[in-house]
Amino acid sequence: MDLDTRVKVAIYQWFAERATAPAAGDVARSVRASEQEAVDAYGRLRAQRVLALEPNGRTIRMAPPFSGVPTKHVAEVSGKRYFANCAWDSLGIVAAFREPGVVHSECAQSHEPLHLSLSRDGPEPCDWVFHCLVPAAKWWDDIVFT
Amino acid sequence: MLFFRSEDMVRQWCDARGAPVRPVVTIPQLWKLSTAWYSTRLQPNARRPQPDEMRRIFAGIGLSGDFWDPTR
Repeated sequence: MDLDTRVKVAIYQWFAERATAPAAGDVARSVRASEQEAVDAYGRLRAQRVLALEPNGRTIRMAPPFSGVPTKHVAEVSGKRYFANCAWDSLGIVAAFREPGVVHSECAQSHEPLHLSLSRDGPEPCDWVFHCLVPAAKWWDDIVFT
Repeated sequence: MLFFRSEDMVRQWCDARGAPVRPVVTIPQLWKLSTAWYSTRLQPNARRPQPDEMRRIFAGIGLSGDFWDPTR
């Protein structure tokens, strides 16, 4: 496995186990590379749209569907609470684990809370809707805004 | 990428921001998108769908048109 793949796997394992973003030093130790080598891999993974980084280039903002910062979209799986980047990613976290889960979020307009239970086969009946303002071709122009 | 209680809430939210109302996605459709995008994401060989795959995924759940075209 090449370094970039090992770095990606280490980041996702960290998120899955701890429900937080790893620091660059954590990833470097995990893959037995220098911190600079890990950060260089971050940049390449960013170019492939695998990660979104903070402006310092070494702090993980997003490893979709996981968020490195608190958001109002939370997925609860196997007793852990994960922050998601957006509504889509909250269901994405449940899909990634292939386990039952609960998504906690809210209506962006009315702020009515949403608590959506999902089995391995999908969500319970729900008449809420999802809306994305940014066209698909522009999502990564500003992925945090998207 | 947000949840709304209803399409009326989407319209109110967009009107308040002078933003266009985009195609609305149901929760079952969103689950299908989520599984297509993320069900292998924790595996070492996971990768983000490429543009042709994205088009197929969107079309497979009834999402088509320029808004969902990843290259337009």
